[in-house]
Amino acid sequence: MTAYFIRRLLLIIPTFIGITIMVFTITRFVPGGPVERIIANARQMQTANQNIGDQPLSEDQINMLKEYYGFDKPILTSYIDWLFKVLKGDLGRSTRYYDSVLSMIIERIPISLYFGILSMILIYGVCIPLGISKAIKHKSGFDNITSIIIFIGYAIPGWVAGVFLLVLFASKLNIFPLGGFSSDMSFEMSFLEKVIDIIWHTILPLIAYMIGSFTVMTLLMKNTLMDNLSSDYIRTAIAKGLSFKKAVFRHALQNSLIPIATSFGNNISILLMGSFLIEKVFNINGMGLLGYESVVDRDYPVVMGILVISSLLFMIGNILSDICVAIVDPRVRFK
Amino acid sequence: MITLSPEIKKKINRFKSIKRGYYSFLIISIMIILSLSAELFINSKALMVYYNGNFYFPTYQDMIPGKVFGLDYDYETNYRDLHIKFKLDENSNFVVMPIVPYNAFENDLKDDRFPPFPPSIKDKHFFGTDNIGRDVFARLVYGFRIAIVFSLGLLILNYSIGISIGCSMGYFGGKFDLFFQRILEIWSNIPFLYVIIIISSIIVPNFMILLLVMAFFQWIQITWVMRTVTYKEKEREYILAVRSLGASHMRIIFKHIIPNTISIIVTYAPFAISGGIVALTSLDYLGFGLPAPIPSWGELLSQGWQNMDAWWISASVVASLIITLMTVTFTGEGIREAFDPKLYSIYE
Repeated sequence: MTAYFIRRLLLIIPTFIGITIMVFTITRFVPGGPVERIIANARQMQTANQNIGDQPLSEDQINMLKEYYGFDKPILTSYIDWLFKVLKGDLGRSTRYYDSVLSMIIERIPISLYFGILSMILIYGVCIPLGISKAIKHKSGFDNITSIIIFIGYAIPGWVAGVFLLVLFASKLNIFPLGGFSSDMSFEMSFLEKVIDIIWHTILPLIAYMIGSFTVMTLLMKNTLMDNLSSDYIRTAIAKGLSFKKAVFRHALQNSLIPIATSFGNNISILLMGSFLIEKVFNINGMGLLGYESVVDRDYPVVMGILVISSLLFMIGNILSDICVAIVDPRVRFK
Repeated sequence: MITLSPEIKKKINRFKSIKRGYYSFLIISIMIILSLSAELFINSKALMVYYNGNFYFPTYQDMIPGKVFGLDYDYETNYRDLHIKFKLDENSNFVVMPIVPYNAFENDLKDDRFPPFPPSIKDKHFFGTDNIGRDVFARLVYGFRIAIVFSLGLLILNYSIGISIGCSMGYFGGKFDLFFQRILEIWSNIPFLYVIIIISSIIVPNFMILLLVMAFFQWIQITWVMRTVTYKEKEREYILAVRSLGASHMRIIFKHIIPNTISIIVTYAPFAISGGIVALTSLDYLGFGLPAPIPSWGELLSQGWQNMDAWWISASVVASLIITLMTVTFTGEGIREAFDPKLYSIYE
């Protein structure tokens, strides 16, 4: 077992190198990189000054820029340079804001984490009880009505729901703010007002975040509990005279929580990375939006930095969920 | 006539007995058929014109210049004006207009106001107009048609790549499997959006290019599924039996494994379709999807997001998204239940 997980951990290394080398290569071939942007800016200044030349920067200047951004070396050498820097914990500097990438990411992580943790708590807190009661009251009116609501939530993607919530509650009814994480005037507020302000800004995005996983979780809970309820050991327990309530909560529920627990590992990357579409709709400055903007702006060091973190999280999360399976279900053997 | 095996017939009957899934399937099929013939319902061209003893059917015809109908211009007839003119003339000439007399591209502007216009039955803009005066309903329907054709195409591409690679991974196993597993892992980690943005910065993506790029990234999921299923199926005794009878690998895969995994393939299809619609809508919303004048739901949503006072834009898109995706999802649930019935015991 331990050998299996060590092997899995070691397999992260080639995958990681594969992912980063592919994206690194792509960044080299895309038009619109930092050097070209500076040339374009210089040209704009030149036209403003009324002397139109063919090339605003001299050959030497362009070469200096290329050297500064590391575009003068062949792809493989500069990739290896970059990799060693990453191993030392240096993700480089943004070519657009000239901040260190690591500090940009660290600045954004708490916001995504805030939404991630809150939605995770709410999803588990609501879905587990809802799933249980839906399983017990299978095919009753309650089950059918909640199913319809749940399926509506499943059908629309979170960000579409976000747009709709904004139009309805922020624009039409004017109850909630139009987006952002806090009001413009938040520095003048007292602590309590700040907390209320943040909660007020949180509600709509939080709903959008929850909508997707909510259905999956509830149905997972319901279906596994129903599988367990119809299995032989529960029938035996009830036949022996155990009350139905005890049979559900003492026996069936414990086994039904296994798949829920194992899905947790995969949620880690969502927890930290957020969703760029929801963050864009609500204008929240989290990790997702940072990633999106860096791609649009061709801010390569930021793109690569986020890729490092997200791919590592994704792979570690996969292994974690396998470990969870092994812990909660002793029947599972990995070889 | 294709003869269905009793097994398949049984499954179809079971699917029909699942009311929610079956009716959803009927609704979505009707929606697709209607959208494919949308020119007959939503069009700026008239369905039928009767002018001086002759019938004209402009819908599927080449353009008819205005001079044909006694108007003073050579460009395409404005049938809405013609409709009003014939009515005022009070002779036997008449024009039959479609229910929504607008197409998805024309701007219906007013002299005294600026678009977007709210829904109005009098103007026959049943869902209003968008920010530059195009009919929302027309754009919704034509956008639906593009989205559904897109996701069907995507489905076929993904399935053909995914099934062939996944099947061979599961069947041959060993180093081939391990190698492709790594490739899949790398592949699924490449930021899909990044590549789309890069491609759309180099060329203007059209329908086919977008389809290929999306398929390039989305074949992963079905490949994983097929790999696992084939892996399980391969270990069964009947495969051993046909193998010892001397069947070739090709024969085993195509005659035995794929027909036995068809239920999985079919079960995933509706979810793949709704996934395709959502993916196209998201890309269009961000502005990296199909180029500008093409009607699309994502583009309408972004208009609704920019202009929140025009609530009818986002409301109609969200409503149609909910209806479409829900019927597709219910169909999928129904198919899943029909292929894999779970009988639960319920304690009273």
